[in-house]
Amino acid sequence: MTSTFPRPTPAYQPLAGCYDEMLDTEGQPRAHWERLAAVCAELGTRELQRRGDEATRLLEQDGVVYNAYRESPMPGRAWRLDPLPTVLSSREWQDIESGVIERAELLSLVLKDIYGPRELLRRRLLPPELVYGHAGFLRACDGVRLPGAQQLFLYAVDVGRDQSGNVVALADRSQAPSGAGYALENRTVISRVLPSLHREAQVHRLAPFFRSLRTALQEVASGTVEDPRIVVLTPGPLNETAFEHAMLASTLGYPLVQGSDLTVRGDRVWMRSVGQFEPVDVILRRIDDWYSDPLELRADSQLGVPGLLEMARAGTVAVVNPLGSSVLENPALMAFLPKIAQHLLGREPQLPSVQTWWCGEPESLGYVLEHLDELVMRPVNHGPGASTLLGWELPERVLEALRARIERNPRGWVGQAALSLASVPVVTGDGLESRRSVLRTFAVARGDSYDVMPGGLTRVQATAGSRQMSGQAGAITKDTWVLASEPETLTAFWLQSGPAREGIDPMASIPSRAAENLWWLGRYAERSEALTRLLRTVLDRSNEFGNGTNPAGTAALEGLIGALDWIAGADTTLASPVGMLLDNAYGVRDQLSRDTWLVIGPLERVLEELRVPLGSANGHSQAALQQVIQSLLALGGLGVESMVRDLGWRFMDAGRRLERSLELLALLQATLQTARDTATDSIVLESVLSAAESIITYRFRYRSQAQLETVLELLLLDPGNPRSLIYQLDRLIEDLAALPLGSVSRLRPEQRLVLEASSTLRLADLTELVREEEDGSRPALTSLLQRLVELLLRAGTAVDTTHFVHTVPTFALLGAAGAEPSIIRGG
Amino acid sequence: MSTVYRITHRTDYSYEKPVTSSYGQLHMLPRELPTQRIRSASVDIDPQPELYRERIDFFGNRAAYFALHEPHRHLSVSVTSVVEVQARAAELSLFGQQSWEEVRDVVAAGGDNIPHEALQHLLDSPRVTAAEVYRDYAATAIRPGQGAFEAVAALCTQIHADFEYKPGSTSVTTTLEQAFSKRRGVCQDFAHLGIACLRSLGLPARYVSGYLETDPPPGRPKLMGADGSHAWLSVFIPEAGWVDIDPTNDQFVGDRYITTAIGRDYGDVPPMNGVIYTTGKTEKLDVAVDVLVVEPAAL
Repeated sequence: MTSTFPRPTPAYQPLAGCYDEMLDTEGQPRAHWERLAAVCAELGTRELQRRGDEATRLLEQDGVVYNAYRESPMPGRAWRLDPLPTVLSSREWQDIESGVIERAELLSLVLKDIYGPRELLRRRLLPPELVYGHAGFLRACDGVRLPGAQQLFLYAVDVGRDQSGNVVALADRSQAPSGAGYALENRTVISRVLPSLHREAQVHRLAPFFRSLRTALQEVASGTVEDPRIVVLTPGPLNETAFEHAMLASTLGYPLVQGSDLTVRGDRVWMRSVGQFEPVDVILRRIDDWYSDPLELRADSQLGVPGLLEMARAGTVAVVNPLGSSVLENPALMAFLPKIAQHLLGREPQLPSVQTWWCGEPESLGYVLEHLDELVMRPVNHGPGASTLLGWELPERVLEALRARIERNPRGWVGQAALSLASVPVVTGDGLESRRSVLRTFAVARGDSYDVMPGGLTRVQATAGSRQMSGQAGAITKDTWVLASEPETLTAFWLQSGPAREGIDPMASIPSRAAENLWWLGRYAERSEALTRLLRTVLDRSNEFGNGTNPAGTAALEGLIGALDWIAGADTTLASPVGMLLDNAYGVRDQLSRDTWLVIGPLERVLEELRVPLGSANGHSQAALQQVIQSLLALGGLGVESMVRDLGWRFMDAGRRLERSLELLALLQATLQTARDTATDSIVLESVLSAAESIITYRFRYRSQAQLETVLELLLLDPGNPRSLIYQLDRLIEDLAALPLGSVSRLRPEQRLVLEASSTLRLADLTELVREEEDGSRPALTSLLQRLVELLLRAGTAVDTTHFVHTVPTFALLGAAGAEPSIIRGG
Repeated sequence: MSTVYRITHRTDYSYEKPVTSSYGQLHMLPRELPTQRIRSASVDIDPQPELYRERIDFFGNRAAYFALHEPHRHLSVSVTSVVEVQARAAELSLFGQQSWEEVRDVVAAGGDNIPHEALQHLLDSPRVTAAEVYRDYAATAIRPGQGAFEAVAALCTQIHADFEYKPGSTSVTTTLEQAFSKRRGVCQDFAHLGIACLRSLGLPARYVSGYLETDPPPGRPKLMGADGSHAWLSVFIPEAGWVDIDPTNDQFVGDRYITTAIGRDYGDVPPMNGVIYTTGKTEKLDVAVDVLVVEPAAL
C-alpha cells in the first residue's frame, strides 16, 4: 500500500489521567497494537483520513443509519465509523469473555428468580422495593419460562476500563440489546478499508457469533418442534435502529415482521403471510416488552400482538428476550450483584460493576448526598426527563434541586463512581486524537452457557470532552479486533457441517405487509419515473418553445403542461411519489439486497430538491431529475438481473406493470384524445413518445414524422416494446398467475379484470381508434382508454383486497363497569 | 359464622359494526381467601370463544383469557359464582393498639417478618402516586400517636364526609388527581384516594375489587340488578395482616363483602379489558350484577 502523500508519523497524544488502549505509560505501542501503530505511521494522516472517508462512503452505500426515518422527530444520524479499529489481545479478551459469560449466567439466574420464586427478595438479597418499584418489572410476565437453562437469551454489557486498565461493567442490556448488527457492518466496512491489515492481523471473525445466534434461536423453540419458524419482530421503519433489525433478519435469514404481521389464533402465534397464516415458534423481539401485547401490557400499543403474552405463558411460542427481561436493566441491581453472586455462585463476579449506591438504602443515600458533586447520578427507571447527570458538571443551584429530587424519591436513584475511561486514537480532520471509549459486548445463550461475540461495538466520544457515548448522541463507533493467538479455520457463515437442509421454496410465503410494501414499491417507482420523464419532456419543450415564437410549439407546450398537471393530480411535487417509494423500501429493507441502497440511497439525498411544484415546471434541478431517472433505471435493472423470481418479486413486478400501464394510459388520455392542427399534433406526438421512452424505437422503425396510428401501434399494441401497454399486460398476467390463492379452474378477480383489459386491447381496431370527428374528438380512442383505465384500476383494488391484510383499527374494550354504583349505606 | 352468596355479573356489548376478532381478559372470578371459599364459579361467553383459559395471576387472583374470531355484533360475558364468606373479626378492640407511626416504622425497616409482597404496596402504582397533598389531607384526619386501626378508620370517615359519592361523575379513565380536586367520584376513586393517603403516610395499601350485598330500601323488595361491582382498600398492619376497609361506606369490611381480585390499583384488576378489531364504535355497554343470599348467616 503506497501513498503519494508525505508520511509523517501521525502524532498521537493520549489523554492524561487514564489508561490508553494503544500506548503504554512509556508512550510505546502495546504489543498487540504494534502492527496497527506501524500502519498508522506508514499511511500518514492524510491517507488515514482518506480511509475514513472511504468507510463513510461504504456505509452510505449500504444505507447504514441510526434513526434513518426522515419524518422521525429525532434527527437522523449517519452511522459514524472510525477507520482505526480497537485492538484487544487474545489474553485480554479471554478475561473479558469469561467475565461476560459469568455475568450473563448470573443475571439469567436473577431473572429466573424475579419472575419465579423470588427467593432473592425473601432473603432480602435484593431489596423488594428495588424490584417492585422498577418499571421493567412486569407483573403480567410472572411465571413465563423459556425452555432451556438460560432465561436471559441475548445479553449485552457495556464495559470500560478504569484508570489502571481494569475492565468494569458499566451498564447491562437485557431488553432487546442493539448493536450486534452494527458491529458486523463495521467489520464488513473496515475489512474493505484496511484489507491487508485485516487479513494479516488474524482477527477473530464475527460470523460464528451469528451462527450461534441462529442455532440458539432454533434451540429455544419448544422441544417438540422440528424445524421451527423464526421471525424478527420490529417496531417498524420508524425505529431508530430499524437498519439493524432488517440487517439481522436478512443475515439470519428470517422474516422481518411488525406486530400487525402477527396474530394469535387458537393457542398459537401466526404470521399473516400472503394467502395463509403460518405458525411462528420463536420471536426474536426488537420491540420493548411493555409494548408487546396491548391485551396485558401497554393497552394503547399499536406495535404489539394481542394475546402474545398468553401464548408465551402457554409456551407455544418462545419470545426472546423474554417479556419482562428489562427488569435487569435497573442500574441499582449492580449494587447487589456481589452478594447475589456469593449466594448463587459462591463467589464474587469476575467482571465487577462500576461502584454503585442505591439511594433506597439509608447509608447509601447518605453517602450519595454527601458526594453528589463527584458521582454519576442515574435514575432507576428510563423515561422522559430521566437522564444521567454528572454531579461535578452541575452548578450549585441545579445540584440543590437534584438533592431535593433524590430526597423526595430516594428509591428512584443510584449514584455511580465516575470512571476515567480508557482512551483510544481516532482519526479526525486534525490527525489522531485521543477519545474515551466504551465497548458493548454481546452474548447469546447456548445450552448451559453463553457464546460471546469476539469483540463487539466500540463507541467513542463524538467530540473531545463530550460525556455521552450513545447512538443518540452521535457517538463515533469503531470496529473491535480480538487478535487470534493462532490462525482460525475459515468457515463461511452459511457453510455448515451435517446433512444438507432442504432449501426454502422460492414461492414460500412472505408477510402480507411485506408483499404490500413491495407492490407499492413497484407502483411508486413507475409513478416517479413516469412523472419525471414527462416533466423532463415538458422542460425540453419549454426550452425550445418557451419564447412563444412558434405558435404550434406554444400550443403543444401548453397542452403538455396541462397534461402534466392533470396526471400529477395530488402529487404536487416529485418528492411525494419518490418519498413513498422510499418509505415502502424502508418497510421491506430485509427483502432488498444491499445494492438496492446503493441505487436508491441517492434519492434520499435529492429528495429536498424535488420539493418544487410540478405545475411551475421551472426551478427543477436537472441534476436531481437526472439522479431520479438514474436511480429508477438502476432499480429496474436490479429487479430484472439480481432478484430471485420469488413471491416478493412477483408483487413488485405486478405493481410496476400495473402502474406503468396506468401512467401510459393517463398520458395518452391527457394528450391524444382530441386532434389539433398537424404541426401541433406532430410536436405532441413526439413528446408523448419521448415521455414514454419510445422515441428512438419509433424513429428507427418508422423513419417518419410521428403519426397517430403508428404511435398508437408502438405504444399500445407492440408486444416487443417493453414500454407498450400490451407488454405490461402480458407480464402482469404472468405475475398474477404466480400468486397464491388461485385455483386452476377459477381465476381471481384481478386476473379476470386484467385478462379482460388485455383482450379489449387486442381486439381494438387501429383505424377506428384514429378516426376523428369534425370537432377533432376521437371517440373510439377515448372510450378504449377510458375502459382500460377502469378495468386496471379495479384490478389494482382487487389485488389489494385479495392479498393484503388490512388490519382494522383496534380499540380497547371498555373496562366493564369500573366499579359502578353500589347503594351507599350510612349516608 | 358464614354467609353464602350467589353472584351473577353479566356484561353485554353491542357494536356498531361487526367485530372480526376480540381478545379479552377477565378479573371477575372470585378468589380464594382465608375469609372466603369459592363453591363454584363459571364463565359463559357468547359467542363461544375459540380459546378460553384460566390462570392465577401475580397477585393470586383468578384471571381468564379468551379470544374469538367469528364476526359478531354482540358480546356477552356472564360470570356466576357461589361464594361462602366468613364474618371477619373487624372490631378494633380485637387488635393491638400499635400506633400508625410504629406501623410505618416497622414496615420501613422492612425486616424479614414483613412479607416482601406487602412492601410493593408502599410504592407508587400507575394510577396511585403518593404525594404531599394526600399526606396533608390524611394529616387532617388522624392524630399523631393514634392507633393504626383508629387512624385508618378516621381517614375513611373523613373521605366519606368530604367526598360526594356520585355515580357517573367519573369514569375508569378519570385520574385520582381529578377526582380529588372535584371532591366527588365513585367507589373506585374513594378507594384510590384512601390508598394514596395511606401510602403517603408510609403504610402499605392495596386495591380490592368485589361486590357488596346491598340492603333494599325499607319496605321495598330487593331489586335485581341493584347491586354493582364495588371496590375498597386494604391496609397492611403487621400484627393483623391485611385489613379491608370501605371508604365509600365508611366501614370495615365484613361478611357482606365478596372479594373478586386484589391489586395495586384498579389497573391491575379491571373486571374486563381487551382489544377488538372493528371499524365501528362500541354502541352500548350494559352491566347487570345481582348478589343474592342463598344461605343466610347462621346465628
